[in-house]
Order: sequence, then structure tokens, then C-alpha cells
Amino acid sequence: MVSINLTVNNQQHSLEVEDRALLADVLRDDLKLTGTHIGCDTSQCGCCTVLLDGNSIKACTLLAAQADGCSITTIEGLASDQNLHPVQKAFSDCHALQCGFCTPGMIMATVDLLERHPDPDIATVRKNLEGNLCRCTGYVNIEKAVLQAAKLKRGQ
Amino acid sequence: MAPTTAQTQPPAEAGKLQRHEDYRLITGQGRFTADWDLTDQLHAAMVRSDIAHGHITSLDLAAVRSAKGVVAVLTAEDVLAAGYNPIPTGPPIKDADGNLANFNALPLLAADKVCFVGQPVAMVIADNAHHAHDAAALAVVEYEELPVVDSPATALRKEFSIHENSPDNVSLHFSHGDKQAVDAAFKKAKHRISLTIGSQRLIGAPMEPRACNAQYDAATDVTTVYTPMQGLLGMRGALCAMTGLEAEQLDIVAEDVGGSFGVRSGAYPEAVLAILAARKLKRPVKWVAMRSELFIGEWHGRGLTLAGELAIDEQHNITAIRFDDTVDLGAFNSYFGGFIGTNNLWVTMGGAYRVPALYMQSRLVYTNALPVSAYRGAGRPDIAFAIERLIDHAAATLDIDPIAFRKQNFIPADAFPYLTANGTEYDCGDFHTVLDKALDISDYHDFESRASSAREQGKIRGIGIGYYIEKSGAGGAPKDQVSCRFKSDGSLLLHAVTGPSGQGHETTFALIVGQGLGLDPAVIDYQAGKADENLVGNGTGGSRSLYGTGSAFKNLAGNIIEQARPFAAEALQCAPELVQFDEKADGGGTFHTAEGSSITLTALAQQQALDENGHHPFDCDADTVTGANFPNGCHIAEVEIDPETGVAEVVTYTAVDELGNVISPFLVEGQVHGGVVQGIGQAFNEEVIYDESGQLLSGSFMDYAMPRAGSVNELRIGSHSVPTALNELGAKGVGESGCSGSLPAVSNAVMHALRSVGAGPIDMPYTPMKLWETLRAT
Repeated sequence: MVSINLTVNNQQHSLEVEDRALLADVLRDDLKLTGTHIGCDTSQCGCCTVLLDGNSIKACTLLAAQADGCSITTIEGLASDQNLHPVQKAFSDCHALQCGFCTPGMIMATVDLLERHPDPDIATVRKNLEGNLCRCTGYVNIEKAVLQAAKLKRGQ
Repeated sequence: MAPTTAQTQPPAEAGKLQRHEDYRLITGQGRFTADWDLTDQLHAAMVRSDIAHGHITSLDLAAVRSAKGVVAVLTAEDVLAAGYNPIPTGPPIKDADGNLANFNALPLLAADKVCFVGQPVAMVIADNAHHAHDAAALAVVEYEELPVVDSPATALRKEFSIHENSPDNVSLHFSHGDKQAVDAAFKKAKHRISLTIGSQRLIGAPMEPRACNAQYDAATDVTTVYTPMQGLLGMRGALCAMTGLEAEQLDIVAEDVGGSFGVRSGAYPEAVLAILAARKLKRPVKWVAMRSELFIGEWHGRGLTLAGELAIDEQHNITAIRFDDTVDLGAFNSYFGGFIGTNNLWVTMGGAYRVPALYMQSRLVYTNALPVSAYRGAGRPDIAFAIERLIDHAAATLDIDPIAFRKQNFIPADAFPYLTANGTEYDCGDFHTVLDKALDISDYHDFESRASSAREQGKIRGIGIGYYIEKSGAGGAPKDQVSCRFKSDGSLLLHAVTGPSGQGHETTFALIVGQGLGLDPAVIDYQAGKADENLVGNGTGGSRSLYGTGSAFKNLAGNIIEQARPFAAEALQCAPELVQFDEKADGGGTFHTAEGSSITLTALAQQQALDENGHHPFDCDADTVTGANFPNGCHIAEVEIDPETGVAEVVTYTAVDELGNVISPFLVEGQVHGGVVQGIGQAFNEEVIYDESGQLLSGSFMDYAMPRAGSVNELRIGSHSVPTALNELGAKGVGESGCSGSLPAVSNAVMHALRSVGAGPIDMPYTPMKLWETLRAT
């Protein structure tokens, strides 16, 4: 077992976790933040994408111990004071989710994408979502939602 | 116990979101099966066969049983002792003489023989998931290996067999149609055009890995099962059949389901074993699949080879079609594999065409591979693909215009209802109009100039048409039944058994009832399945939830009005027959009298007290009996191939679907998008590959290429509506149509491009490697 400190959605946690525990497992099993989903075991699907110190990562690619001292934002921490984040709003507005399982990861990946590319073109959107799989939407409305969220964020 | 942090009250803006489902799903508050943790729960992991075919000579579980944290291990002996039954083999299917197929059912756990890699051998139950998986790895299973039937072709060589009752490896030799008439037509035909198409094995791959959690309450003798599903009755029926429990002894919970696509239409061994373990150990037992387990443990789809032939006369009329099909069942008959390989291949085998003679035969073959069952379309996309490839192949071979050839042979709009030569009645349609619309939206007639520009860039372009018609699900339940519960604030909770997995049931059913009652859909909730309601109905499958359950909800609105009418009469002090209901009134659905007094339905509902059981006097139910209908449409794909790399891009894709009346256009478009891209995934990338020893080579998302963002560059949607009279909504199914349109449209576009440089035809998937090699060889 290893002792770690995590700041998750602005709350501090001191935890004892198994050496081999993945960050994704600790978020779900220890902190009960089940909005971070696990969709594969090869780091391909992106369902577990969270922000680690502001950068999107797949929470299954990191041991929880490696995240010691880091600040993490999960889907549960994205809306502030019950105001939806523009990316959340755009995903609903554009019907960019069907079953909703990939959605938390898609949204977190998009938040990071728009930090790096505030005004992305469609090619940039597609390239940056390569690491996130969706089986329902065919990505058509996800791509629209990302562009729409960029506009919302820029205040247009 | 609730799985997540308590759900916060949705803010006001949640009501302005597109779907009822959205708020919880975009804020991480959805409740999928793996999200449920139950007090005192145990965790299960599976021991699976790592060989494709062999006798189990010893099963040594000593190390497993003594491993850290292990509480119990289940083997075939425990299954036998409990009297549990194997996986259901699906609807009865018969040959032309009425003889039933040979059936071989997948045991919940293998006793003495394994027939595919991944077949469950034991379930290990421990105090946590890590310990369960660690212990499962300690199982020592020894096998006497048997020769492996690695493909249908190997199976049909009959050198060795898998099941004693099927020495030729065939479960059923099936045939349908008028062979004599077809043979006669072929004898007279001016042209015979034949083509064999393969529709390769796929994985369903809902993004939510399958999971279950079973909790037994000894006091009530009820087991609560948390599991993804497509509908309550399908899941409960399968679990009852396997466990021998009565329906009342099972309470099934599926709040959010992360996709289904057909592969979740029935229960798998793990959920049944979790029930067995939970009842035995008196503690909840949770199992969550690893994705790699699902590649070898969740029914595959497709696996069909269709050899078709057209008889064509001098004037280019199609005079007969015949098919000779080979259906890869995998190692066992599981759920819908046999139904797909028989019924779903003949029922629309003439496509959208007026063909006087139709005949098909298929053989359902066992292989040492994972069983095949339903995957989006379940045979419908495959036969649509085969017909439309044949049409284009014939046009190309005879050097005639594929559009004129289609139009000449289409069933004309004035010929409906149309009875096909093999007995399917298409109720309505207007294929010419739909085709013309698609040609227009795709800018088809200007293709040559775009192809010429592409050639200047060194690229090869092709354009292809797919005109599909499919028979949506007839449904296995005698009717689709729905009910409702009013709450004291006048809001409404709807019930039915169809389980959503992304389709938006909550949104659409609320919309239908809201329109009928003049109520804001935001005050109407939908809940799938409640065991104590005893509702009958079909699950999500065969594209039928909207027109089946949705039609029942349309009827429910009418029943609610009648249920409320006497109360309105009393409130308005007049005779019930003199009270009118206006669902379009300002301020919401309103009862009024000729004299001008009125009361809204909501106000009237709020005035009524709930009885001691919590029932409101307006609570009622409704149903409908409706069978299949015939969605159809024209999809046109334009594809550009880079001969340097073999990479193909779907430059534009046009989908004009004829779906009857559309209730929620944005949801319907979403279904089309998803279906089209699943078809594009199959066409270009996806493929389950076994090697000759029956080992799966495509066992992860690193080896199995899923469609990703940008799979289609530009998707153009159009529609044309010919409402059906077969259900109250006038709606046709949409869930599967995207695949049925896209397989032929994309394939015809790729073949068109290849043909322009003298290459092809080739089989799916059209991977960069295959396209590059094909182009290099020309």
C-alpha cells in the first residue's frame, strides 16, 4: 500500500492505495467519482479522460501513486455553481451523446483541446479526438459540439 | 445503495437541454451497472478456455481456492447441482421439410469440453476484484486438444466435427422460395450476373463493458440483478430460463446502459453465475468485464457469406434472384444466430425491386469460434448489401446506367401494398422519389467533374448508391403495453419494458405523451421496466421501440383523457360527454365546456388525492399490437482513395431515409449518423480475425480498428415520408437503417473507384493495405 495526497475537484484527499491501483480505479472505487468511466484495458478508448494539473490524461495510464500531489478535475467537477461548462452545454445542444458512456471522457478531452486550440478547424478537432472512442454517434455531432463549444467559450 | 455521490438537483438550465437523459450524463451522474457498489459485495473473475477446441482432462483449482481473498469457485459441477440451464438457443428454425435444426447450447461453464477461445470454465469469487483476477490466473486447466474448425470453409470440408449431433458441422440446411420458378427464369435469362459478398465477423463493442451485480434477499427470496439490457422481458425471460427462477424472484435494474447494438438482447453466463453465487453465498456478487474479455466473451455479429445471382432479360428486367448463403454460427447456437441466417436473409431478399421469382438456401455452420448473434441490423444490412452490390455489379458488367437499371426495376409507388415473390408484403413506399432526392442532395450528376479534379491531384474517386429496404422487428411479445403514474404535483411517470441504451426513450416517450395531453414534456419521466408492474412488451431491438411502445404511449394519452373526464365533469359541473379536451390550449391541455368554464389537466390532477397505495385516479395503462414495417432509403457515398497510401476517405455521404412520420428529428438523425458510421467501420476497418488454431488475433482496440472521429467528412441528411398505416404513429424503424444503407453505398463507391482504374472487386474491409495492394496489382 502507498499513501498519496490528491486534490480532486478542489477537495483534498489523503488515501492509502494499492501500489498497482490505477488512478481511474481510485477515482471510482475510493472516491466514488463514478463519472470517470473505464471502457477498455489498453488505454485506447478515452472514457477515463480527466484533467491532471490542467492537462487531459487517460486515468488508466497512470498509477494512482504517480498522481501523488497532483490536482485532478473529473467530469463531476467541471460545472461550477451548477452552471454547466460550455463544453457540457454544447454536447447536449448538438446531441453529441447517445448512451453517454464515452461522454465524460469526450468532454474532458474537449476541454483540454479548446485550451490548446481556442478556435480549432475541423481537422484539428478530429486529430485531437483520435484517442476517444464512441460507438453511438458516428462522431458527427461530437465534432459539431466541439466547434460549438469553442464559439461559446469565445463568447460568440 | 446509490453508486455515486448523491445526484444534485438539476439546475433550471437542465430543463433546456436537448434530452431528458442529458443532464446526468454530461455531469457524470449517470448510473451504469459497474457504478453500483453494494454493501458487503464480493467480486468475480472468470477462468476461460485459452484453446479453441479440446477435452478438459483436468481442472486443478487448488491454488485458486487457497489464494488470498478467495471465497468460492464455481465450476460446471455447481451449475449441475443448481439445475441451471445453458444459454438459450434462440427461436426454433426448421428446414424446408419441417425438421428442426440441430441445436447445441453453450453451457454456463464448460464440463468436459471447450469449443472456442474464451469459453467460460470457472468463476472465481473473492473479496475484491484484484484478488479475484489474481486467483483466476492460478487455475490449471489441462486439455487434450482437438482439431480446430477455424472457418466455415473448414467446417464444410467435414474432415472433423465439433458436435456429435452434427457430423457435417451444419446445424441446419435451410431453404425458402420457389426453386422451380427461379431455375426456369435462369434458364430463360439473357444475362446471369453472380457475385459473392462476405460480411465479416464484427464485435458489437458498446462502450460500456458488460457488468453485473446480483444481490439475494433471503427474506423475500428475490434476487436483484443489476445488468445492462435492451428490455426487461428479454433479460428476465433469459435469466428465468437459465436459473429456473420465477419472474417474481428476479428484480432487474438497468438505469443507464452504455450502448447495446443487439449484443445485449439476452443474458450471458456471467450474470447467471452471479445469481447462483449470490444465492449460495448470501452476499452480493459483482462482475465487471475487462474489455479484452469481451472480445472473446460477447457474441460477435455478422459472419455471413452470401452468394447471389441475378437473372436478367433482354430489356434489363430482373426476372429472378437466388442466393446460396453460408452462416457462421460459431461454436454454439446462441440466441439469434440461426434466425439471422434464415428469416432475416430471405425476408427482403428481393430488395426494392419487382422480381417475379426468388429462392434462397443457407447452411448454418459450426466453427470453433465465439457464437454469433444480433448486431445492429442482424442480417438486414447484409442482405441489403448483397442485393445492392449485385445491382451495381450487373450494371457495370452490362455497361448500363446503375440509376436507370434501379428505376426500371423498382417496385413503383402505385404498386403498394406489394407482395414479394417469396411472400413478404411491403405496405408502402416511394422509391423513385427517395432516389431522386438523394441524387439531388449528393450532387450526383456533377460527380465526373469532381472525379476529374481528384485525378489531377493523383486521387481516385468513386460514387456509389445503396437503396435498402428492411423489415424492422415484428416483436416477440403479444403486444406493447405501457402505464403511467401521476404524482400529486401533476407530473407524470411513464412505464414500459423497453430498455434504452442511448436512443432517447425518455425524451421521445415524454414528447409523445406531452403532445397528446398538452403537457410540457419536462414534467414527464420515463422508467424502463418495473417488475411489479407486470407489463408486457418488446425490448429495444429490430428498430421497434418508437413505433411499438411509442404508439402505445400515443394511445395512453387518449386513455388518460378518458380517465380524467369524469373528474373534469364534476369540477366543471356538467355531463362528462359535454366536456371537451383541447390539448393545444394556451396554458396546457385543458378540459372545457361549451359555456366557457375550464380547468387544465394539470390543475385537475393536482386536485386529486393519491390512494393508500400511492395510486392517482388518473393512473391507467394502454397498449398496441403492431408488427413490422418497411423503412427504406437511398444512401450515396462518395469516396476518394489515395493510391500512394491506400487510404480512402468518405468525402461526402448522403442519407435520404424514408421512415414514415418522424417524431424527434434530431434523435432520428443521431440514429442515422451512428448506423452509417458503424457501416463505414465495417466497410473500411473492422474485422474479427482468428488464426488457424482458433486464436483471436484481433483481441483489443489496438488490433481491432474502431471507427474514429472523421470517419465521414461530410454527412448530408435528407428525408421523405410515406407514413405507414401499420401503427398509430405512422412511423417506421430507424435504429438499424444506417448500416443497411451504408454497407452497399460505401462498397459500391469503392468498387466504382477501383473499376475506374481497372481494379476490383474486393471484399470488406477495404483497409489501406488491401486497397494499396489491389491498386498496385493493376
